[in-house]
Amino acid sequence: MWEAISNQFALLQSWIFQILVQPALYALGLMSWDELAFDGTELFLIGVIELALLYVIFRPLELLAPVEQWPNRREANVDFLYSMITKLGLLPLFFFLVLTPAFDYLNGSLRLAGIIPPNLEDFVPALKDSPVLSAVTYLALFDFFDYWRHRLQHRFGIWWALHSLHHSQRQMSFWTDDREHLLDQMISGAWRGMLGLLIGVPPAQFLVVTLISGAIESFSHANVRLSFGAIGERILVSPRFHRLHHAMSVGHDGPHRGCNFAQVFSFWDVMFRTANFDATYHPTGVSDQNEGADYGGGFWAQQRLGLRRLWQAWS
Amino acid sequence: MRICFLALLLSVALQAANTAIVLNSADETVSIIDTTSYNVTKTFRIGKEPHHLMVTPDDTYLIVANAASNELVFLDRATGEEKRRLKNISDPYQIGFSPGNKYMVSASLRLHRCDIYSGSDFKLLKRIATPKGPSHVIFDKAGAFAFVTLQDSNELTAIDLEKQQVAWTIPLGKQPAGIWMTPDDKHLLIGILGQDYVQVVDWRARKTVKKIRTGAGAHNFIPVGDGRHVFLSNRASNKISKIDQQTLEVVDELPGPGGPDCMDVSADGKQLWMTSRWIRKVTVVDIATKKVVKQIPVGRSPHGIYLYAHAARK
Repeated sequence: MWEAISNQFALLQSWIFQILVQPALYALGLMSWDELAFDGTELFLIGVIELALLYVIFRPLELLAPVEQWPNRREANVDFLYSMITKLGLLPLFFFLVLTPAFDYLNGSLRLAGIIPPNLEDFVPALKDSPVLSAVTYLALFDFFDYWRHRLQHRFGIWWALHSLHHSQRQMSFWTDDREHLLDQMISGAWRGMLGLLIGVPPAQFLVVTLISGAIESFSHANVRLSFGAIGERILVSPRFHRLHHAMSVGHDGPHRGCNFAQVFSFWDVMFRTANFDATYHPTGVSDQNEGADYGGGFWAQQRLGLRRLWQAWS
Repeated sequence: MRICFLALLLSVALQAANTAIVLNSADETVSIIDTTSYNVTKTFRIGKEPHHLMVTPDDTYLIVANAASNELVFLDRATGEEKRRLKNISDPYQIGFSPGNKYMVSASLRLHRCDIYSGSDFKLLKRIATPKGPSHVIFDKAGAFAFVTLQDSNELTAIDLEKQQVAWTIPLGKQPAGIWMTPDDKHLLIGILGQDYVQVVDWRARKTVKKIRTGAGAHNFIPVGDGRHVFLSNRASNKISKIDQQTLEVVDELPGPGGPDCMDVSADGKQLWMTSRWIRKVTVVDIATKKVVKQIPVGRSPHGIYLYAHAARK
């Protein structure tokens, strides 16, 4: 069955690429990009399927066991726009058009200086022969680096000025995962790209890692009353565990400026003593919203106000 | 006992004669195909971004260049079995041995460099920064120059192998890709991927002498085996052009569905095998009837292809 689905997907990707994308590249004199654009077409289609699956699977769960009942979904719906931008447009484009050439330039300069960045497989040859072991290892490594990126987003005032937009959502749903300031998204992309350069992550694995971590992170933001149990909570980030990270006056305070920073594997929080297993389901948001702080209602207002907070934090 | 042993040897030899080796660049795998039954008999992981392959000068092994793994993997030409893995070959996209095998040149498409190695022990001799996108490599008969297409700066560069420096660079059409030297050592044929022609360059005079209209996305070459013609894949128009190297004209066309890329011709000259990049398949075309006889599912983005029993490379 999986093979049949994969074949249908390949057919669709090939059809879209050959009918729409490649002729456009040819007409614009951009055929050098055709292989990257082919990968981009795959990423776009996966994004469409991912968005559909997220809705089909997580929305019923939110209806079945919601943490909060809202009179309307006006605030939550803005986050869908972020998901569209992230999964279908901005992130893949930024990745292919800006990050890839930038890191290739850096990589090329290192080679001219006699330095060949190592691949993870050079140290762990077994990864070469096992796609599953390889995917899990890359997932854990990326998650480890994302944990520390997330710690820094809360630690430094200028970064928090951008990241607080993600936390300002009071109607937290499975779309909230992608609610990030565009500048913050780019910084995160560069962070991940740097790791990719350091350990030589192949594009196929990058795609797998992005998909798995994206699905888990979307689920952890869902408006669902769900815990993974005493052991499961210490392995994988659940909606309950991550809700505490978004909890007003809990998730952004204390000595670490928050708790439960992990994105996929909660054991990073256990390991670095930032885990909070309180079973209470708190309202979400940033404390200063109670004092009238405005994070914006729509997409553009949120982007503008994010830049203003950044400027204020900087100056 | 002796008869059994001979039968076994014969069986292995026959099996070997029927092997096609395909690089699935996005899956990091190699597919081994039985060219008689058209079945994939084996698929195994090879390394990151295997794009092109090349036989060793002594004709013993098939070298797979893993661009993102920074390595060359030596395979048994007949079975695909891994024999050796050579590390620290920086980003080898396409490689080639100069006539006489004194040098191996590696083009790094992504990182904009060409590296010159000793052809005997693969010791790095020189790393040369180039304009953007060094893509495909070919040599003159004397082995004095390596000619490299620069896909992103729309140029052709000639590297003086003795001096190990760029000798000259001239402009070409949009996104030049595959490159081929005519048997008389006079003309370079260059597939212009971003347009619909093969640019013919008199490399000694350093000038374009002709543009042969082929099809959109002119890409890569393989000799037919008769010493006179070459096949050219046209990636965006999904067809193969047969070019006469003496008259510099297109003399025939074949189908090339799904974004044709690298090719090989069977030893009997009857079949053209090609990787169909956008449909995850290898396509086999009967040259006489111009019909697709088989499409074999392989991995994602299949690129390099090699037939153990192939036509002469002339």
